[in-house]
Amino acid sequence: MDLYKFGVKFFAADAQSVDILKLIPVYHRWIQQNALDDLLIDVADYSHVPAGPGVMLIAYEGNYALDETGHERGVLYYSKNKLAGELPERLARVAGKALKAAQLMSADAELAGALKVPGNRLQFFANDRLAAPNTDAVYGEIEPALKTFLDRLYAGARYTLTRETDPKERLSVRVQAEGEVSLNTLLARLV
Amino acid sequence: MALPLSRRKPQTLATWKERLTGQMPVDLAREIDVYEGQIELKKQGKIEDKLFGEARLRRGAYGQRYDNGQRHDGITHRTLPFPSRGTKGTETVWDAPGMQRIKIPFGGLNPKQMDVLADVAEEYSDAICHITTRQDVQLHYVHIEDTPDVMRRLASVGITTREACGNSVRNVTACSLAGVCRCEAFDTTPYAKAMAYHLLGHPDTQDMGRKFKVAFSGCKTSSCGLTNIHDLGFIAKTWQSNGVTHRGFEVVVGGGLGAVPYDAKLFEATVPEEEIMPLAQATCRVFARLGEKRNRGRARLKFLIEKIGFDEFRRLVIEERKVLPRDARWTDYLKDVARYEEKPAKAAANLDVANLDPAFAAWRATNVYAQRQPGYVVATVTLPLGDITSWQMRQLADVARKYVGDNVRSTVEQNLVLRWVSEADLPALYAELARLDLALPGAGKIEDVVACPGTDTCKLGIAASRGLAAVLHESLVERQQKGAIDPAVRDLHIKMSGCFNSCGQHHLADIGFYGVSRKIGGATVPHFRVLMGGEWENNGATYGLTIGAVPSKRIPEFIDHVTQKYLAGRQPGERFKDYCARIGKKALKEMVDAFSAVPAYAVDRTLYSDWRDPREFTISDITTGECAGEVVPQVEFDLQAAEQRNFEAQIYLEQNEVRKADETAYQSMLVAARGLVRTQLWDLPEDADRTVAEFKTRFYDTQLFQSPDAGQYAGGKFALYLLNRHADKERVFSVEKARHLIEEAQLFIEAAYGYYQRMTEQQAQAKAASFAAFAPAEAEATT
Repeated sequence: MDLYKFGVKFFAADAQSVDILKLIPVYHRWIQQNALDDLLIDVADYSHVPAGPGVMLIAYEGNYALDETGHERGVLYYSKNKLAGELPERLARVAGKALKAAQLMSADAELAGALKVPGNRLQFFANDRLAAPNTDAVYGEIEPALKTFLDRLYAGARYTLTRETDPKERLSVRVQAEGEVSLNTLLARLV
Repeated sequence: MALPLSRRKPQTLATWKERLTGQMPVDLAREIDVYEGQIELKKQGKIEDKLFGEARLRRGAYGQRYDNGQRHDGITHRTLPFPSRGTKGTETVWDAPGMQRIKIPFGGLNPKQMDVLADVAEEYSDAICHITTRQDVQLHYVHIEDTPDVMRRLASVGITTREACGNSVRNVTACSLAGVCRCEAFDTTPYAKAMAYHLLGHPDTQDMGRKFKVAFSGCKTSSCGLTNIHDLGFIAKTWQSNGVTHRGFEVVVGGGLGAVPYDAKLFEATVPEEEIMPLAQATCRVFARLGEKRNRGRARLKFLIEKIGFDEFRRLVIEERKVLPRDARWTDYLKDVARYEEKPAKAAANLDVANLDPAFAAWRATNVYAQRQPGYVVATVTLPLGDITSWQMRQLADVARKYVGDNVRSTVEQNLVLRWVSEADLPALYAELARLDLALPGAGKIEDVVACPGTDTCKLGIAASRGLAAVLHESLVERQQKGAIDPAVRDLHIKMSGCFNSCGQHHLADIGFYGVSRKIGGATVPHFRVLMGGEWENNGATYGLTIGAVPSKRIPEFIDHVTQKYLAGRQPGERFKDYCARIGKKALKEMVDAFSAVPAYAVDRTLYSDWRDPREFTISDITTGECAGEVVPQVEFDLQAAEQRNFEAQIYLEQNEVRKADETAYQSMLVAARGLVRTQLWDLPEDADRTVAEFKTRFYDTQLFQSPDAGQYAGGKFALYLLNRHADKERVFSVEKARHLIEEAQLFIEAAYGYYQRMTEQQAQAKAASFAAFAPAEAEATT
C-alpha cells in the first residue's frame, strides 16, 4: 500500500499539566534554531478551539502539534509528502519525528518539565481516505506493517490494538504497550 | 524550472478523479481537469506567472503569508528553503502552502457537504474549517498540487471554488435567517442562489478589474444581509397592484469597506424580481468596461461611481440593460422560486420552559431565535474566531441530519446556524452540541468577537487580529461566566481586521479595530486603530468613527475602560452608537489617548511583540496581496483554454478516440477565434457559424490575422485551417485527418497568440506616443 499521508500521536501522561500557550514561543525558537529535520514554516495557534489541534508547528513535510483532539493531549506529527521505503519504514520515520518533538518538548526549560510522554500509548491514523479508507479490508492490509513497526518500536513487548470503528472517521488505531519506555529508548530503536 | 516529482501520486493508486467520475457536475469536472492541466503546464514552464496566478485565484487557490519564501523569525529574515524555487504567481513560491477559499452561496450547507468539508480540511489542511465574514469556508496550509482533488471532492457534493478569489463575482451572501426571519419581506434564498449561479463564469463577469460582491437582505432593518457594504445589494420588498402582491428589490450599488469605506447608494427603489439578473449583468458590464484596471487601489466599483458620478453611472447601466441580449435564465428561475421550500427534519413542537437547566437557559437566551413558523427555532453554533475542527464538523453534520436535515447555514459573524429545529428538541440538541464542545453561549454578543486572519496567515496583515481576538474572546467568556458583564455591554459587537482592508468588517462594530504599526524609539510596536460607534443593524448602515491608535497589548484594558465609561455615562436605554455620537469625538479621543503610551523597550518589552506571537514585531513580512489578483484580459484565458483543448485532442487521439480528437481540435480553434472576436464584439453568441463568420470578416478578410513576418505565419493559411474545417460538414473521420487537424489547430492558436501580441504591442506604442506628445506640455506647465 502506497500510503504516505498518515500520522502518529504519542499521548501525554497528564493532560492539563502544560499551559498550551507556552508552546508558541517554544515553536518559534525551534524555527529559529532549525531544531527539527523538517522545513519549519510557521506556528498556528488553535488553542481557542476546544479539543482541537492545539498549537501547531507547520512544516513543509508535515505538521507537528500538541494536539488536544478528543480532550486527549499528545504530541502529534503527520506527514503530507511522499515518503520513500516500505510502510513499516515510513511508519518509523513519521513516529520518529513525533518522538523527537516529544523529546524536545519534555526537555524544554520553558515548559519546566511539565509535559510527560510515557511513550507506551500512541495512535496511528491514515490521513488519506482514498488510499486508506476506514474499512476492514484496508485495515487488514495495513495491520501487518503496523505490527512490524510496533514490534521494532517496543522491542517485542506486548501491546494491544484498538481500532476506530466509525466509518466516517479516518482509519485509526490506538496502541497500548506494556510498561513505560523512555522517549530516548524509543527513538534509538527507530534509528 | 522543472518541479520535483515528489508530490505526484503513484500510478498504481486510484485517483479522486476516477473515484468521483459521474458524481460531479460534468461542466465542473471539466473545469477542474482544465485547472489541473494548467498546473501541469505551469510546472513545465508553459504558462507565465501572471496568467497562472489569476487562473489559480479564480479557482479560489489563494496565497498565504510567507509564500514568497521569506520569513522574519524574530531575529533575522530567512529564506525558507523549499525544494523548488518554481513559482505559481508573482512572488509566490510553488511549494509554499496556500489558502483554499470555498464559496458557500448564501451560506447554505447540507450534512453531506459538511462531511466533505471536514474531510478535505483534515486531509489537505490542518483539520480546521474557518468560516469567513462572507459566509465562505477557508482552508489554510494547502499545497497547490492537492487543490484539484480538494475541488473534485467538493464538486461531488455540489460545491464550487470557482471565482472565490481574483477579479470576479465573489460569494453571493444572504441573511442566514432568510426564509425563517420574522421581519423579512420574503425569502431571498432562491434569488441569491439563482444570482450566484447566473453570474458564476458568466462572460460579462470575466473581464473586471477587481472583485465584485453581491448581497441579499430580506429587510432593511436587520443586520445580517449587510447590503450597505456591497458592490450590489438587493433588499426584498413587496407591493400591491390590482390586488396582486408583487415581489422585487430595492437595489443599492457601490458600497464597500476597505481603507476608505463607502455607503452603497440607492440605484432604484423598486426593481421587479424579473429584472434583477439583467440589472446585475448590466452593472458588471459597465464595471468591466469602465472600471480602473491599472491602479488596483482604485479599481472597485465604488471608485468608478465616484469618478464618473452616480447619475452618469446609473444612466450607463440603464442604457446597457436596454441592449443586453435577452437571456431566458433571467426569468426561468422564478419557477423555482415559487417551488422553493425547506423541509424540516422534525415536526414543530413547543418547548416546556418550566425548570430549565441554567446552562441550557443561558445558551437558549443568546443562541436561539424563534422562527416565524410556530414551533421552530434557529440555533446558532458559536465558533470561536470562526473555527471548527474536522471532527466537530462531521459530528455536527450528524446532529444536523437528526434534527434539521439540510438546513444549515454559515453566517457573516463566522458562526453556523441550524434552522428548522423543532423547539421541543432544544434540550436534546443542546446536550449533543455540548458533547461536541459547540454549545458556547453568547452568539452575537460582545464575546463573539469577529476577526479576519490577520498576520496568522494573510500576506497583507499588519497586526495579529486573531491573537487579539482570541485573548478578548477567552477573557470575555470567563467574565460572562462569572456574571461580570452588564447586559448593555454584552450587547456590543467587537470586530477587528489585521490591516485597513477591513476583512473583519471593523467599521460595522460598536468597537472596531484594525492593525497598524508605530515606530517607538527605533523599534516597531503593533497597534490597533480604534473605531467607535459603528452600526451593525440596518444592513450595516453607519460606519464607526476612527479615533486613534492603541498598542495591541493594551487593547483589553482599553475595552474595559471604554465599557465602564459607557455604563457610567449613558442615558437610560442609550445605545453605544448614540452614546458615542452624543459625547463626541473629542471625548472618545481622550479615552484612546489614555492608553496610547508605550513604555521604552528597556522598561517593558512586552508591548514590542504581538498577541500570541513572541517574535519581536516587524512589518517586513508583509508582501503583495493577491486580493486584487492580476488583471488578465479574457482573451488570454481564451487562448490558454484553446491550447488546453488542443492538448486534450491529442490525448483522445492517443486513446484512439478519433472522432472526438478531431472535433476537440476543431473546438480549440473555435475557442481561440472566439477569444479574438470578443476583443471587438463582446456580445458574440455561443454559436460556431457566427464565430467563424465574424472571425473571417474581422481577421481573415482584413488580413489582421496574417503576420507581417509571412515566413513565420505563412499569410492567411492558418486562418484557413479553421475556415476549411468549419465548412467540412460531411467530414469523414480518420486518424490521419485528426492528426493533421491537431497540428493545424496548434498553428492556428500560435497565430492567434501572434496577432494578440502584435495588437497589445501596437496599443502600448500608441499609448507611449500619446504620452510623449503630452509630456512636453506638462513639462512646460511645471516649469
